[in-house]
Amino acid sequence: MSSQSDFQFPEAVRTRSRFRNPIGKFRVNRTGDCIACGKCVEICPHGVHVERRGRVFVENNYLCVGTECPEPCYKTCPVQALSVRRNPVFDTLGDFRWTNELLAGTWYMAEFGEPPPAGLEYKVGNSGGGFDKLRLIFKGNGSRLEDIDLNLELNRRNDNAHRIRIEFPVYGGGMSYGSVSVTTMVSRARAAAALGTFSCTGEGGYPDELKPYDDHMITQVATGLFGVKEETIQRVKIVEFKYAQGAKPGLGGHLLGDKVTPGVARMREAVVGYPLFSPFPFHSVYSVEDHKKHVDWIKSINPKALVSVKVSTPTDVDMVAVGSYYAGAHIIHLDGSYGGTGAAPDIAKKNIAMPIEYAVPKVHRFLQEEGVRDKMTVIASGGIRTPHDVAKIIALGADGVCTGTADLVALECVRCQNCESGRGCARGIATTDPELSELMNIEWGTQRIINMYLAWRKELIRILKKLGMKSIKELTGRADCLIHLDYM
Amino acid sequence: MERKEVISRIIESRKSLVQDLPGGINYEIEAEGGCGVTGFACSVPVRGKHIFEPSKQMHNRGNGRGGGIAAMGFDHKAMGVSKEVLEEDYILQIAVLEEGVMSDLENRFIKPCFRVDFSERLPHIDDYRDIPGMIVRPPEIRRYFVRVKSDVLDAFVNETGLMGLDRRMAEDEFVYRNSFNINKTFYDAFGKQCAFVVSHGRNFIILKIVGYAEEVVQYYKLEDFRAHVWIAHQRYPTKGRVWHPGGAHPFVGLNEALVHNGDFANYRSVAEYLRQRNIYPLFLTDTEVAALLFDLYSRTYGYPLEYVIEALAPTMERDFDRLSLEKQKIYRAIQATHIHGSPDGPWFFIIARNDTENKRLQLIGITDTSMLRPQVFALHDGEVQVGLICSEKQAIDATLKSLAEEYPRIGAVADRYWNARGGSYTDGGAFVFNLEEGNGNYLERRLTCTDKFGHEITVPTNQAAYIPDKGYSLMANEKKSGAELSVFFHENRPDPLYEYLKDGIKDWGYEGFFDCLREVNTWALRGDDCFETALDALTRLIDRRYPTYDKKRRSILQMTDRTLEGIFRRFPPLETPDGGRNREDNGVSCRLIDWNSRDILRGPIKGEEVLIIDGSLFPPEGEDCDSRLLANAYCMGWRRFIVFGLKGQRFHGCGIGPGSEGVRIDIYGSSGDYLGSGIDGLSIHVHGNAQDQVGQIMKSGKMVIYGDIGQTFMYGAKGGEVYVMGNAAGRPLINAVGRPRVVINGTCLDYLAESFMAGDPHNGGGFVVLNGMEFDSDGTVTPQSVPYPGSNLFSLASGGAIYVRDPHRTVDDQQLNGGEIVPLERRDWELVLPYLQENERLFGISIEDALLRVSGEKRDPLEVYRKVQPGKGETIAEDGLEEWGK
Repeated sequence: MSSQSDFQFPEAVRTRSRFRNPIGKFRVNRTGDCIACGKCVEICPHGVHVERRGRVFVENNYLCVGTECPEPCYKTCPVQALSVRRNPVFDTLGDFRWTNELLAGTWYMAEFGEPPPAGLEYKVGNSGGGFDKLRLIFKGNGSRLEDIDLNLELNRRNDNAHRIRIEFPVYGGGMSYGSVSVTTMVSRARAAAALGTFSCTGEGGYPDELKPYDDHMITQVATGLFGVKEETIQRVKIVEFKYAQGAKPGLGGHLLGDKVTPGVARMREAVVGYPLFSPFPFHSVYSVEDHKKHVDWIKSINPKALVSVKVSTPTDVDMVAVGSYYAGAHIIHLDGSYGGTGAAPDIAKKNIAMPIEYAVPKVHRFLQEEGVRDKMTVIASGGIRTPHDVAKIIALGADGVCTGTADLVALECVRCQNCESGRGCARGIATTDPELSELMNIEWGTQRIINMYLAWRKELIRILKKLGMKSIKELTGRADCLIHLDYM
Repeated sequence: MERKEVISRIIESRKSLVQDLPGGINYEIEAEGGCGVTGFACSVPVRGKHIFEPSKQMHNRGNGRGGGIAAMGFDHKAMGVSKEVLEEDYILQIAVLEEGVMSDLENRFIKPCFRVDFSERLPHIDDYRDIPGMIVRPPEIRRYFVRVKSDVLDAFVNETGLMGLDRRMAEDEFVYRNSFNINKTFYDAFGKQCAFVVSHGRNFIILKIVGYAEEVVQYYKLEDFRAHVWIAHQRYPTKGRVWHPGGAHPFVGLNEALVHNGDFANYRSVAEYLRQRNIYPLFLTDTEVAALLFDLYSRTYGYPLEYVIEALAPTMERDFDRLSLEKQKIYRAIQATHIHGSPDGPWFFIIARNDTENKRLQLIGITDTSMLRPQVFALHDGEVQVGLICSEKQAIDATLKSLAEEYPRIGAVADRYWNARGGSYTDGGAFVFNLEEGNGNYLERRLTCTDKFGHEITVPTNQAAYIPDKGYSLMANEKKSGAELSVFFHENRPDPLYEYLKDGIKDWGYEGFFDCLREVNTWALRGDDCFETALDALTRLIDRRYPTYDKKRRSILQMTDRTLEGIFRRFPPLETPDGGRNREDNGVSCRLIDWNSRDILRGPIKGEEVLIIDGSLFPPEGEDCDSRLLANAYCMGWRRFIVFGLKGQRFHGCGIGPGSEGVRIDIYGSSGDYLGSGIDGLSIHVHGNAQDQVGQIMKSGKMVIYGDIGQTFMYGAKGGEVYVMGNAAGRPLINAVGRPRVVINGTCLDYLAESFMAGDPHNGGGFVVLNGMEFDSDGTVTPQSVPYPGSNLFSLASGGAIYVRDPHRTVDDQQLNGGEIVPLERRDWELVLPYLQENERLFGISIEDALLRVSGEKRDPLEVYRKVQPGKGETIAEDGLEEWGK
C-alpha cells in the first residue's frame, strides 16, 4: 500500500472452524477395542487424535489426510481399533467449479495459513474447462532466490492521482451490504488492510463500520447508484465503476425483497421489504464518450482517486479496455463468467460473454499493440479460487486479480447456492439478518481471510521460484508457462 | 410498369454488383463509441467557419481519430460552374489515398460513362502538419461535376430492365452503382485502400479525415466557403492508433449525407437485411448501413420521409395505440416488412438531404425509439432563419454565436429549443428543416420546420428582432429612463425594477430598452446594494416568461445576457487588493476570476463575499476546468459564486462534498452535463436550460432550473429540493431513493421515476409533482395537451409518489407498470402545497390562477391533481414483512 518496502505481512494464527464438527474428506473410526495406548496420538502428524484423561478420542476427523498419510494410524494401531474411510458427507459438498476438495483445501488454508499438507486437490477444480484445463509448466530447476516480490503498482499512468502499491497482487471484489453482512464486509476490509491491499464496498452503500479502513477500501459506482454519495466517493483512494458483472452481464442487479431488511433499506435509503433493482446499464452511459464524461465526473469529485472500470467480457472487450484507457481510467477490471455467488442466476453464469482465459490475453495483446499496456493495470476476476488460478490468469496477461467467493469460502461458505433466498445464508455470511449475522464475529472472520491469503502468498512465491522468476510482474503475459490439457 | 415491379427490378439487377463479393458478410465492425454531431440549415448560405466553433466545442465527444463535414446548397459562382450545372450535375468527389491510381480510375469509371462538365483538385493547405495535432495526411480530393452520357444511360436502362423508371432516377441509380464499383475496386477495408467515393450527390459535398471535424474546414480551406446546410461529426473510435478517413462520417446514400451518434446492437441483422436486398456495406461501420438504409427506403422504395422515419424508428407500445387507425395500418405494414432493418440500440442521426424531386434542401434529425442519445433541436426565426440540431445545446449556442458575430440579422439565442420524443405519436422523434426556394432566388431560401407527421413548428411572426448594427440610439429629447431608475436603486427594490423593465418592453422600441439596460449597467457598478438590485432584476428578465409584444424574446434575452456579462466583467479581478478601482465606492464584495487569472486563486479576505467566475475560456472538463476551480475556491472559504460565459463546461457544483449548506451558485450561459451531480447541501440556480445528467446522486440542497433539463436528471438521487421550470427529457429520477422532492412544471419524454424507491412521502419520503404546463408566446402558463405522453411512468417503483396535474384524467393504467393511480387526499395536497408555493415564487406559476384553473374555472386541488403510487402488488411478500416490524 505504502511506498516503503518494509511492509510486514501479519502472522498466520490458527483459527479453528466455527462449527463443532468441521467437514473433512475422511472419517476415522475407533472401535471399543481401543486400549488407549496413545500410539495414534503420537504418530499422527495432523493432530487428528487427542488424549484426554486417560482416554483417546478422534477429535479432528477433518484433518486426516487418509491414505496419503506416510505412517497411517490404522496400520500402526496394535489392536486394529482404527479404520479410515471416506466421509460420505464430504461427497455431498461442492460443485464442479468449487469441488469439495477445493472447499476443504481453502478451509485448511483459512485455518492454518498454509496449503494443506496432503490428501486434498486444492489447486484445481473439476469444471472441465477454464482454469481446470490449464496447468503451469515448470521448466528448468527454478531459482533459489529468496526475495520474491509480489507487489503491484496500481497507478501506471503516472498522473496526478494517488500512487498506490498493493503488496500482494490480489484485492477483494465488490460485495454489497445487503448481499453480505457487515461482519463479512468488515472482516474483508480488515484483512485487506492487514495484507496491504484493498477491499471493495460493492454498490449497497458504505457502512460506517468500514470508515477506519477507508485507505484500504474501493467504493463502487454501479448502475443502481445505491448509497453512492459525494462523501463516499471522496472517502476512498480507488473508485470502481461497475458496468457489468461477469457472472451476469446484461442483467443488472436484483436484491429480493426479503433481503431488504431495515438495515439495508436505511443504507440504501429505500423501502423495507421491496426488491431493489440495479438497472443493467448506466442510464447515463451509452457510449464511450459518455463513459469518458462519467470518469471525468468522478475525477471532479475526487481528483486524486484512481479509477477502475469493471466490465464483463464481451467479444469486443479489447475495445472497451482501450476506450477506458483513453477515458482516463487507471485499472481495467475484467470480470469473467465463472464467478458469481448463488444470487447470480444459473442461466447467466458462464453462459454469457467470453471465458476469462480468452478475454485476458485478448485485452493484454490489444493494449500492447496500442502501445498503452504499460499504462494500464489489468485486473482479472470471476472464478479465481486458488493461488494457481492467480498464477494462470497472470500468465495469460493480467497484472493482478480480484476475488469474491474465495473470501466467503474462507469464512466457511459451503456453496449451498442459497445466497438469495429467504433471509439469506445459513452460515451467516451472505445475510443481513441480525440473528444469522451473529453466527460469525469480526476477529474470527478477519483472521480466516488473512490466513487464506497468507497461504496463497506462500504458494505464489513457491510457483514463482519454480518458474525462476523474481517478481510477479515477470509472469504477466507469459502464456508459455501454461499448457492446456486438451491441446498438449 | 408498376412501381412494385420497378422496385424489384432495381433490387434484382443490383445482384451483379455484389455477387462477386465474399459470400458471408464480414461482420467485423469497427468498435465505435459515441460521438458528437451537429448540424444547421440556414436560409442564406453561410461560411464554413461557423461549423468550426460547435465542432471545436464538442472535442470531448471525439478523440481526433475521425472527423467529417458535409455541406449542401452552394452558390454556383463559388463552385466555378453555372447554376444549371450546379443543380443538375452530380458532384462526384473522390478521395485519393494512394498516388497514381487516378488515371486508371478515370479511364475505367469516369471518362467512359460521364460527361464531365467541370473538374478540379480540391485546394488545401500545403502542409497538414501546420494544423497542430494532425497526424495523418488527409486525402487528396478530386471533384467532378458529371452527368451520365445519354447512350450509356440507355444501355444501362436496357441492361437492367429499368424501362419503367423515371430517367432521372435511372441516372441516380447509375451513379450509385458506379460509385459502388469504384469503391469495390479501389477500396478494400481489409486490404489495400487506394481511393474511395466520398460523395456523389447533387449540390452537396462531404469531406472527412483522420482528425477533428473542424480540421476539415481548416485543411480544405472552407472557412470562407458558403453553404446553406452544414453538418459535422466528431468521432470517437476506439480501435487502432491510426485509422483511415473512409471510416469517418458523414456517409452518403445518394442525395443525403448522414452522421450518427451511437451504435447499433444489431449491425449484423441490419447488414443481413441489406444483403437480402443486394446492398453490401464496404466500410464496416454502422453509420454506413444507416445511410444505405435511408437511401433504400427513400430512393428505391420511394417512401415519403414519414415512412422512412417509421422504418428506422418504429412507433411502439402505447404510442402506437395512440395513432389513428389509418396510420396504425400503414405503420404496422412498415414494421412488419422492415423491422429487421430497423437499427436497434442507441442512435441519433442528423441527415442533410437534397430532396431533388421537390427542389428543396433538408436537415433532418431522427432519434431512436428509446431516446438513448442526447439531442437538442432549435429554431431561429427572423430575417435570416436557422434550424439547428446538435448533441448538446451548447453546440447550438456556439453556432448561433459564431453566426451572430458575422451576421447581425442572426441572434445569439434561438426562438425555440426542444427535444424529440423518439418513436412517439406526438412528434415521431424526428424533425425536419426544409429549405425551399423563394421567388426563384436559390440563395435566399425559406426555412420551415415540421415534425415527422408534418406538423409545423412555428414561432410568433409578428415580432421583430433586435439587430445590433442598426444603431439604436435615442434622440436627446427621447431620454426617459434615467430619473425613474434611480428610485429603484436608491431603495434597493429589484421587484419594481424588473416590472418596470418588463412593462417597458411594450412601449419602448429596442432603443429605449437598450438605453434602459445601459442605465442599469451604470447603476449596477455603484456598490453592492445596487449590484444586487440590478442582478436580481436582470436575472429575472432572463428567467421569467412575459409578453414581449412586438419584440422577439430571443432578442430581449440576448440584450439582457450581454448587459449582465458586461456588468460581471467590470468587477475588480481577484488580484486587485483595492477592489474599488472601477467603482465609485469601495464597498464591493464581488471579485472576478477568469482563465488568465486562475492561478492566483485565494481565499476571500475581509469584505469579499462573491466570487464571479468568467467560465468562457476554461476547458469543459479535466484538471483545469472551472468547476474544479470553484471547488477549490470553496475549500478556501468562498461561499457564493456566480459563474457566467459558459460554453458547455461541465461538473459545476461537483466535488464540494457534504455539509455545504449556505453555499449558493448561480449559473449563466450554456451550462454543461453533470451539473450539481452529488451536491449535498448547497443550492444551485441555473438561469437557462440545463443539460444531461444533472443532479445525479444528489443528497440534499436545492436546485432551480429556469428552463428545460436534459436526460437522466437526478438518476440515483438521494434527496434535495428541485424545481424545473420547463420539461425534462428522458429518464428523470431513475433509481432515486431517500427523499428527493421535485417539481417539474412541464412534462417528461418518458420513463419518469423508474424504480423510484423514495419511501413514504408522508413519512419523510420523496415525490415528484408533474404539472404538465407550458408557457405560450405571451408568457402565459397553459396546460400541455397531455401532462405525460410517455408509455412508462413510475415503472417498478417501490416508494414515493408522483403527483400529476391531470384534470382530464389522461394518464391511464397502460402507462404504469407496477404503480397505481389513486385520488388525491387532502393531506397529499398539504404536503405538496409548500413546494408549489415556492414554485410560484420562483417561476411565477400561480397556484390559484394557473395550476388550479381548468378551462378557466377554479377547481379543487383534489379534482385537478392525481396521485401515482406504488401498487400493492403481489411482488411484495406481505407476511415476510411483518417479521421486520418497523
